[in-house]
Parts: sequence; C-alpha cells; structure tokens
Amino acid sequence: MPQYEKILLKNMEQPGYSGSLQDYERTGGYQALRKVLKGISPADVTDIVKNSGLRGRGGAGFPTGVKWSFVPKDHPGPKYLCCNADESEPGTFKDRQLMERDPHQLLEGMVLTCYAIGAQTGYIYIRGEFRLGATILERAIEEAKQAGYIGQNVLGSGLTANIYVHAGAGAYICGEETALLESLEGKRGMPRFKPPFPATHGLYQQPTVVNNVETLANIPHIVTRGAEWFASIGAPPRSTGTRIFCLSGHVKWPGNYEVPMGITFRELIFENGGGMRSDSKKLKGIIPGGASAAFFTEEHLDVKLDFESVAQAGSMLGSGGVTVMEEGTSMVWAAMRLMEFFYHESCGKCTPCREGSSWLLQTLQRIWARRGRAEDLDMLLDLCKNIEGRTICAFGDAEVAPVVSTLRYWRNEYEELIREAEVTRPAKGEIPVFTH
Amino acid sequence: MANQESDKFVTITVDGITARVPPGTLVIEAARQIGVMIPHFCYHPKLAPDANCRMCLVEIEKIPKLQTSCSTPVAEGMVVKSSVPNVEEARKSVLEFILANHPLDCPVCDQGGRCDLQDFSHEYTPTTGRFKELKRIFPKEYFSPLIETQMNRCIQCLRCVRYCDQVMDVQALAPSGRGTMTEIKHFSIHELDCEFCGGCVQICPVGAITSRLSMYDFRPWMLKRADTICTYCGDGCQITIQTKDNELIEVNSTHGAGRNNGDLCPRGYFGYHASVHADRLNHPLIRQQDGTYAEVTWEDALELIAERFSQIKLAHGADAFGGLITSRCTNEELYLFQKFMRVVLGTNRIDSSARYGHINGIQALRRVQGTHRWTVTYEDIVAADTLLLVGTNITETNPITGLKVKEAVKKQGAALITIESLLPIRGTISNITTLASHHVPVHPDYFGLAVLGLIKSVLEQGLATASLSERAPTFVQSIRSAVGKVPWETVERHLGLGRDTFVEAARTFSQAKRVIILAGQGVLRAPQGSDVVTNLLDLLILTGHHGRPGCGLGTLAEENNDQGAVEMGAVAEYLPGPSELGDQTARKNLSKIWGDEIPQSPGATLMDMLEEARTGRLKAMFIVGENPVATLPPQAKVEESLDGLEFLVCQELFLTETAKRAHVVLPACSYAEKDGTFTNTEGCVQSVRRAMEPIGESRPDWEVFSALSLLMGNPIEYGEAKEIFKEIRSAISGYGLLGPSATPPRIKDEVVDRYLQEGFKTDVEVRYAFEQENTQPDEMLTLASVQSLFHSGKFSTRAKGLLQIQASGFLNVNPVDATRLGLADGDPVRLSNTRGEATTKVKLLDRVPVGVAFFPEHFDQNIRGLFSLETDPQTRVPYFKLTRVRVDRMQEEIPGKG
Ligand SMILES: Cc1cc2nc3c(=O)[nH]c(=O)nc-3n(C[C@H](O)[C@H](O)[C@H](O)COP(=O)(O)O)c2cc1C
Ligand code: SF4
Ligand code: SF4
Ligand code: SF4
Ligand code: FES
Repeated sequence: MPQYEKILLKNMEQPGYSGSLQDYERTGGYQALRKVLKGISPADVTDIVKNSGLRGRGGAGFPTGVKWSFVPKDHPGPKYLCCNADESEPGTFKDRQLMERDPHQLLEGMVLTCYAIGAQTGYIYIRGEFRLGATILERAIEEAKQAGYIGQNVLGSGLTANIYVHAGAGAYICGEETALLESLEGKRGMPRFKPPFPATHGLYQQPTVVNNVETLANIPHIVTRGAEWFASIGAPPRSTGTRIFCLSGHVKWPGNYEVPMGITFRELIFENGGGMRSDSKKLKGIIPGGASAAFFTEEHLDVKLDFESVAQAGSMLGSGGVTVMEEGTSMVWAAMRLMEFFYHESCGKCTPCREGSSWLLQTLQRIWARRGRAEDLDMLLDLCKNIEGRTICAFGDAEVAPVVSTLRYWRNEYEELIREAEVTRPAKGEIPVFTH
Repeated sequence: MANQESDKFVTITVDGITARVPPGTLVIEAARQIGVMIPHFCYHPKLAPDANCRMCLVEIEKIPKLQTSCSTPVAEGMVVKSSVPNVEEARKSVLEFILANHPLDCPVCDQGGRCDLQDFSHEYTPTTGRFKELKRIFPKEYFSPLIETQMNRCIQCLRCVRYCDQVMDVQALAPSGRGTMTEIKHFSIHELDCEFCGGCVQICPVGAITSRLSMYDFRPWMLKRADTICTYCGDGCQITIQTKDNELIEVNSTHGAGRNNGDLCPRGYFGYHASVHADRLNHPLIRQQDGTYAEVTWEDALELIAERFSQIKLAHGADAFGGLITSRCTNEELYLFQKFMRVVLGTNRIDSSARYGHINGIQALRRVQGTHRWTVTYEDIVAADTLLLVGTNITETNPITGLKVKEAVKKQGAALITIESLLPIRGTISNITTLASHHVPVHPDYFGLAVLGLIKSVLEQGLATASLSERAPTFVQSIRSAVGKVPWETVERHLGLGRDTFVEAARTFSQAKRVIILAGQGVLRAPQGSDVVTNLLDLLILTGHHGRPGCGLGTLAEENNDQGAVEMGAVAEYLPGPSELGDQTARKNLSKIWGDEIPQSPGATLMDMLEEARTGRLKAMFIVGENPVATLPPQAKVEESLDGLEFLVCQELFLTETAKRAHVVLPACSYAEKDGTFTNTEGCVQSVRRAMEPIGESRPDWEVFSALSLLMGNPIEYGEAKEIFKEIRSAISGYGLLGPSATPPRIKDEVVDRYLQEGFKTDVEVRYAFEQENTQPDEMLTLASVQSLFHSGKFSTRAKGLLQIQASGFLNVNPVDATRLGLADGDPVRLSNTRGEATTKVKLLDRVPVGVAFFPEHFDQNIRGLFSLETDPQTRVPYFKLTRVRVDRMQEEIPGKG
C-alpha cells in the first residue's frame, strides 16, 4: 500500500498528542500566523490560498481563495468569518475529529482567514450534538487568547480576531451556509435565496466568508509551506491537496483516511479500508461524497477521487463521506432510508422540496411495503426532475440524487418489488401505513 | 458616453415585448409593467422577496437554470421568457406539489372565489392529479377569538409571517415544525396576542388565515362592495365594506388602495360592527314630562325643534344658541351644520371635537407658516432620512401613519428620534420607540421641556443654519436667550436627562436632508400644546429645514375628520377655509354664496358655551354626535350646563350620556350609511360612500340640517351630498381637487417672514419659559388617559370584534411600580386623589414609564372624575388627560371568588 504524507491528521496521529496549545506549538503551530504578521499582506495571503488551488471541503468545492477575494475590501462596516462545523451529512465525520483532536490547527486557520478577509470576528457554528468538540474548542480558544493568538491585538500586531463557538440545535439544513447565517442571527434556520451571496451580504447582511472546518484547517499549512507545495499534491490543477475521506459501510476498517486527491475508490476501499467486511461478498454500491451524492456501482471503482473525475462519472465528491454497500443490500431500501433522512430534514421553505420529499418518501415506502404500482417509477423520476434545480438551496438536488441514481443502476430491484406487489395485492380497503 | 436616460433605465424583454424600467426593478414587476402577469404566491410588493414558493420561475437567456422572477432584479438587455414549455412545466409542477397536500375544501372556504391557488390551478393544472398518497393533516388548533387558521390550506408562502414582521413590526407569527409539517403559529403558549391588524388575513393568498367575525357567513361573490373611508382615526384609511343583503359582512382593504395602501389596524379591520349595534337609535325621540322618551315621527320631531328654536331665537336672540358637532361627520355635514348655525340660527357659536386638541396644531401652523395643513405627505414620511416623533404613541393613536414611519426606518433606513414617554420595550404590540435611533424618554408632563432641550442643544452645538442669523438675527438671538434661561440643571431635574442625551439627536436632526416632525396627542392635548408645536416649527427654521422639499411638520389628528371640521369652519374662530371670522374678503365671498349675512358676533368654543349655559346666557344647544358628558371630567359640570338649557337637541347614533339629557333625540346614520368626504390628518380629501341602507329611520346628518332649515323658513336645500361638496368647492376654492394622493400646500413665505421679523416676539419668552415644578409625591403615580390601539373614542366599544380583544379598561403600570406598591397583575386597585376615587384592575406593562400609569380613555367613566381640567388661555382647548393619583391595592375579595 502506498504511503502518503498527511497534512491535517499528521499531528494528532503522533503518539501522546493531546491537541493542547503546547503540543500544537511544539509541532510548529502558530508559526504561520507569526510569519504572516511579520509582513505578508492580507491580499498576499489570499493570493497564496488562490494559487494553492485549495477548494472548499464542505461540499460544493468552490475555490477558497477566489471566495475570499469576493469580499469587498473597502466595506465600511464589520465583516465576518463563519466556520461551518455543522457536519451533519450522513456518512461524514472528519470535521469532528479535526476539532476534537487538533483544535488549534482550525483556530490558526481561522485567525489567518480573518486576517486575509479583514474580519475581526469569527464564529464556529458547530453541530449541536458535538458537545465534546464545542468544549474542546472553547478551551482551546481560551488558551490561544491567553497566549495572544486570538483576541485584541494578536501577538502585538494590532490585529483583532475574536473567535466564538456557537452550537446549532439539530437541523441538517443549518449546514447550508445561508441557513447557517440565519440560525447564527437567531432566526429559524432556513436558506436564503442567492444572489446576493454571503461574500457581500452575509451575517447581518455584512460581507461574510463561510468555510468548512477542513478547508480552514489547511490554511496554516499552505501559508507555511507555500502555494506551490500544496498545488503539487493530489490531482492538480483542479483538485489539489489531500482530503479526509470518511469511509463507512460494509468495509473492514471504516474510518477517516487522509489521502491526496486522485487516488481511486479501489485504492481507498481495498487498500486503506481493508476491503469488504465479508470477503465472500462483492461490492454493490458506493455513495461517493455523502448522502447528497448520487450512487456509484462497482464499475466505478477505478474512478479517481478528485472533483472532476467524480463529477464526470455522474456524482460528486461532496463532503468526502464514502459509504460502501455490499451485495445483498436492497438499493430500494437504501434509497428509502436516505429519503427518510431528507424528508425529516427538509426545512420546508420551498415548495418542490417540502412537498416533494414527503411524496417521494411515501412512494418509496409504499414500494418497499410491496404496494408499488407500475407507474410509480416514471413518476418518481418525474418528481425528481421537478425538484432538481428548482429549489432555493442545493438540498433539493441532494434529496433526489439517491432516488435517481438507484433507479439508474438498480431499476430492476424496484421492478421486482412492484411485481411482488402484484402478487400480494391487498384486500380492498387496506389502509396505507405512512405516518408523518 | 452613456446618456442620462440610459443611466436611469435598463432595457428588458419579456415574452418578446421590450420595455425600459428603472434599475433594481424585479423581473416580476417589470413583466407586470409590460403586461405579462407571472403567477406567484409568496411574492408581494410590500414584502422583501423570499422566493420560497417557486411559482414565478422564468427562463432568462444565458442563465442555465430557471430563475425566480420575484427575486431577480432586471439587468441591461435581459431577455425573459415566461411562457415557454419548461417554464410552464415548472409552474404546473409547483402547483402539483402544492395541491398534493392541500385539502381541496374549497366549498367551505371563505377564500373560495378569490383565491390565488384556485385561480392558478384553474389556469395551469390538469384536471386530475397524480398524488395518491396520504395527505398531511394538521390537527385543528384554537388560534384566537378573531383570527382563524386552517393550516391544512396553508401553502407555506410565509407572507403572513413576513408581513407581521416587516410591515407591522409585531412578529407575532412564525413557521413552526419543518418540511411538510411546517405550519404557521403564534409565538406564545396562549392564544394569539397581537395588534390584530388583520394584515395576515388580508395577505394570505389562500384561505389559511381567515376572520372569525364573518366565518362561513358568505361566499365572496355574494358580497356587494363599497369603497369608503374608516372613521376610527385621523389617518383616513380606505376600506371596502362588504355587505350581503344590507348586512355588514366584512371590511378589508386592497393593496394599492387609499392612503393606507391596503394596510389597516384592528379598529378598521375588526371594528365595523359598531355601526350595526343593536342599540342604534331607530326613531326620533321626544322627551316626555316624566323623563321617558316617546318614539315619534320625523315630522313631529323636526316640527317641535323648528318651533322651539324659533321661539328661543325670538325671545333671546341668535346668540342664545350653541352648536357642537363631532369631527366624525363628513365635510358636507360639518359644512352644512355651521351654515345652518350661522345662517338659519344666526350665530357663530359653533364648535367641534377638533377643539380637544387638533386646533392647537392648526393655529401654530397658520401662525408660523400660513398653512392650516401639513406641507408634507405620507410619501414624504417614507422618503425622509430623519424623523422626529414628539409625544406620540403613534402605533396606538395613528397606526397607519405609524406604518409609514416604520417603513421609513425599517426599509429605507431613516433615523428616528422619539421624544415619548413609552419605554423602548417590545411586547405583543409594536412600539415605535424600539425602532428609534435616538430615544428620549420623557415624562408625559414634559414633552415641551424635551423639545426645548433639543433646541438648546442645536444652538449650543452651533448647528443652527448660518444664513438665518442674517435673515432673522433677533429671532435667533431671542430663542438663544430664552432657552439660556432654562439651565441644563433644570432640564435634568425634570427629565432625568441632561445635555448629553440631546447631543447626538440634535446633530442627526440638523444634518439630515429630509426631515419630518410628527407631533401627537401628548403635545396637542396637553397644556401649551400650540406653543410646543410652534417651538417645533422654530426648530425646523433654526436648522434650515423649514420650507425645504420633503421637510415639514405634521400634527396627528385623533378623529377621522378633525382636519375637515376646522377647514369647514365648524369651530368658533373660523369660517370655512378656514378663514378668520373677521376676514372681510372671506365674509363677503361667503355671504355671496350663501345669499345671506354672516353673523357679526364672536364665536364661542365648547368650554365657553358650557360656561354660558351654566350662567343662563345660552338657552339652547344643538349637539351632533358629540358626547361631552362622557368625554369631559365632572369638573366641567357638563350635566349642569346641559340641564340648565331650555332646549337641547341631540343627533346621535346611540342614546349616549349626553343624548339622555336632550329634549329631542334624532337618529343619525353611521358613516357606513352615507356619502360624503373626510379630510385626513395629512389633508387628503377622500370619498365616503354609502355601503348600506340606513338603519331604522336614521338619516344622514346633513339631511336633517336641510330639513330643519326648510321648516324654519330659511331653506338650504340639497338633493345629495355631492351638491354640498360643490358648494364647498366654491366657498374654498380648489377644495378636494386632490385626487388619490395628497397635494400639500406650500408654506407662505410672507407669513414666515412676518413671523421671523415680528410675530415670534409676542410670546417667545413665554413659549420657552419653564416654570412647572415637579409636584409628584413619591406615593403618587401620574395617571395618563390614553388611546388604545383597539378602540377609538367610545364608539368602538360597541364593536363586538374589538370587545373581544379588549372589553374593559385597566390600569397599565410598570412592574417596578407594581413591586413598589405591592401590586400583582390582575389586582383590583383603588385610585384616589383630592378629586375622588375610582376602582379598576392592574395590568402590568413593561413599556409604561416608571411613575406613570396608563388608562384607556374609552372605558370606565368613574376614572374621569380624577382628572384635573384646565383650559388653554389662547386656544381654549380643554386639557384633562393627566393627573396624579394614589394607587392602593383593594383588600376586598372580588365578588364571586371564594
Ligand atoms: C443541505 C446542505 C447541507 C450542508 N451541510 C454542510 C455541512 O454540514 N458542513 C459544511 O461544511 N458544509 C455544508 N454545506 C455546504 C455549505 O453550504 C457551504 O458550501 C460550505 O460550508 C462552504 O465551505 P467550503 O467552501 O469551505 O466548502 C451544506 C450544503 C447544503 C446544501
Ligand atoms: S430546498 Fe429544501 S431545504 Fe433547501 S430551502 Fe428549499 S425546502 Fe429548504
Ligand atoms: S393580525 Fe396580528 S398576527 Fe396578523 S399580521 Fe396583524 S399583528 Fe400580525
Ligand atoms: S397562512 Fe397563508 S400567508 Fe401564511 S404561510 Fe400559509 S398560505 Fe402563506
Ligand atoms: S413568487 Fe417567486 S418564488 Fe414565490
């Protein structure tokens, strides 16, 4: 198995590394900040990040430096940085580890980003269930403040960068950046229509950058080791650096694997993950990038794990959550389980998603309960078509992905269930089972 | 180089039609201007776009995905397609999604027939649906006494929620639950408690929020509509009264209609049943020997009046008569009343309810700038960059003018300075002071002193406009020296606020470009009301704002036609115009129109008439719709005055406390039953239209004056209200030629010049003097008689809808005072002072200032006995809104409680 240099998980994998400020400093922590404050201008920091080719690790993969450069330089009011630590995408669990095990890496990234975009305040919007992570971060902020890395007059440079932790209240949608902002403002977490984008009209309508935990954790390394170094890792020019893939499902060794982008699914699953959990069962399906990404099949095992390759193959790299399913798994059932999640999490703001999610789910549940009808499958596809691209946020596209992709690759499983329905056609007057 | 034209407009093509629209216009609006209606649910021009329903998707060239036209601003050269197949398909699918969970209970829905969902479904969907699953069902929940929700019909467009927040600033509603379980609820565990403006009912595109007052009573197509004007306050909202077989069913207002732009307040929306209360007088009444009333015919009643009036005139002369009319009447009636009094009875002794305060503002405006109206409009309020509100809880007294202020602040970002007693604390109803950028909390006794503080600060900081020192050096100097005589220590001692409080406010005010001052009841109905308004005009002059476009001062009228009453000459000091009683040109012109002489003797105001009645000089009164017995405190001895009259005629809707003392009572029509015009607080003359046939034998007031004149041998006859209006137009040239928006008068420069050179001198010392000493002993509270949002005068206490919101008076006190006095919410209390005592219950309210208690003027007559009465030496306005009281918790058990 090839060995790759880790960037983000490197510290924490050292024996005895506790994530304390001392430990972090010992591994060269906060040197990037010191370096920048000694004379690299905010614009130069942004350029370094731009040139590194770093793209967002939260899901959409937007080039980070470019996003920063949209923040108006001459804005008279406050600007904000929001770290998206809501990590609620099923099958995704990397941000949690980054925060719990090496909080200062994220904090240094945030202070550097605040500096680059001219924000004096950064919020970490952390998933409500991550109590431990929140506690650890709060403690780390306190430590960093004492040491002068955070707060007023950072390291005597005159820079102000205050960082606060704000816990969510258990809604997946609050990971969507504009819903996150609404929630942070104390409102009901529902996405805003875009444009305008947060870069100009974000938190409290002020210019705001929203970045994922993993994205921000990369910043100190890029600053320290340079854009060229980073750009040489992975699958340049469009997918640079490493990614932490969250491998889960029917594999031997589920877990977080930091590897350069561009390795294949086969390598990730069979070399890093040790292969299928049961040697006698073949791989059947892969969710390549969190619940919102369309399924792959075993035929996609040689697709490369980079933004372009996965997109070209008809899905997305998304949040980095790779879920593997073995032979024998019902893909209708898998789609239905995912749909239950999406039904439960649709915020209800826009019509196609709100109404479509319950319609899709009821139909899937009916098919699974052997009460499907022949016309259901085309109707499912038609409903998906009516949701996709017509909603306020990307949730709409996400919720149809499992349905459309399972129908694409395993339509026969649906048809089989429907055939079973023909046989077990219920007595007249049977009452359907769905409860909202 | 781009020319100016193209800087201001962008070119857009919608469905092949090209137009030029201002930049920033939303595509949906641009399409509408072009004549293409893009279907929509969540969009409403009043609200910030939310783009949630997805109904308005269109194709925009060069953009891959369909875009919501309600949230996309136009761009130069944009090409929009709204009827191409993929747009139509998207639309169809949105409707399919909405209808999936919709109960389709149109046959029993009050919205059926005027429902956007019905209309768009009819236009865009196939007749069969594909949804064969279970519909989502929300269990029915009780919402509120007046507003009903049917959440199964809700399409989650959030218009109601956004309206309540963005327009009303109430925030009573919120979506709760998520996904398809999202329903609209109110914030609280108990029933809805809000402003009850009805806005959510009106703005809901479907039948998910409806009014319980008319629930299931009608189908929309059965209703006959009449556009008329609300009579509950001076704002003059256009309302549509909907009737079915002469029965009042509902009142609403249309977006874009009237000065209110379709917005209403609870009085307008839920208060309409007052007109059809069972106690309405149906027949003329004549008092019998034994004090009871006998129902008589109009002939008998009018003949008796004509006879007694003629006798009294013969025996005692014309000035033995006094007339009093309510400003709730139409201009036509007010005009005819004063004409009747002047021509038929021959006296100038006339007054109206404008005397209770509105006249204070008008006199100040006339004196300083030569206008009797505002020189600004509602549109100017919205466009203002700085607003100064003095002594007005505008939400409760003039809710719609309040909405304009909210719009200026919330949407346009205007600065708001409030000099008000309310504390800036949010509650179930909105509070304008919470929107203030500079709030000066002032005890209700000291609004004048706070204005003085502001002027003092302007002068001290050198913010007075430089050119004024050349134009009117003595004016500036006199004010400077006058305010100099009131040291900051005095200000601080009384307001609890010193120099610092005013620094920022004075600066903001002075540096603004478009400034509007609104003076409310706290100024107009309190001692020196006219002086304070004059000082506020001084402030405008000093800061150079006076006369600048978009700048000016407005006084807030409490009654719907306070302004008209003065303009029609239904007050002691003015002829129609208003022109001074002694104005020879006006007199000549009027006598020509009237074909009669105008009496020479001076007029008499309400308080003077009451006094003369007591001394026996006044022998007869004609009181139309006014109820001084229940309005003025007992010290005014109104009963004594009226009982001493030889003859009292009351024309009324109800047998009020005043009417009960009359010899003859005539049944009048309510506003819903008559035609005419009202002039609102900003001076806009608007049409009042008959919505229903008169109740019983009641008649419009003007018909009665006309009939009486005939019987008294001096006929002033008209066929309909319009003819009177025509005559008004010849008496006041150009009156009412104003169209749908107000065209305010311009200030008269020569009047301002005269004021600046000489006029101010007569009283500048007095206006800026401060002698009042704080005499409130610690154990006393200041009791203020205030207006409630849910009522207007006493009339509204007959409206069943409003009674469901508020059925009685209570003493609002601050929790701090309550703790100090050992009071809890709901406790019975005794209020007492040297004038008497009264009982009521306590209701804690955070926004009431410490040391002050509010009591709504509409209820509990016994409270009135506590108030002092003072009459303005100049304007003869009676002041009786403030007093001091002891508040003690009553020990007695409340009857019925064990
Ligand atoms: C439904 C939905 C959920 C999302 N949840 C998350 C999340 O939990 N964490 C996250 O970082 N980004 C999430 N995103 C992506 C964010 O909207 C946003 O793109 C991201 O935070 C930007 O950061 P990045 O550029 O660093 O990736 C979600 C997006 C959608 C549409
Ligand atoms: S797509 Fe779904 S989650 Fe996104 S705004 Fe619309 S209803 Fe909410
Ligand atoms: S009636 Fe009440 S809930 Fe409805 S908009 Fe008005 S204030 Fe809000
Ligand atoms: S109640 Fe009416 S206005 Fe409010 S969200 Fe539902 S449909 Fe829209
Ligand atoms: S009207 Fe545009 S999305 Fe609702």
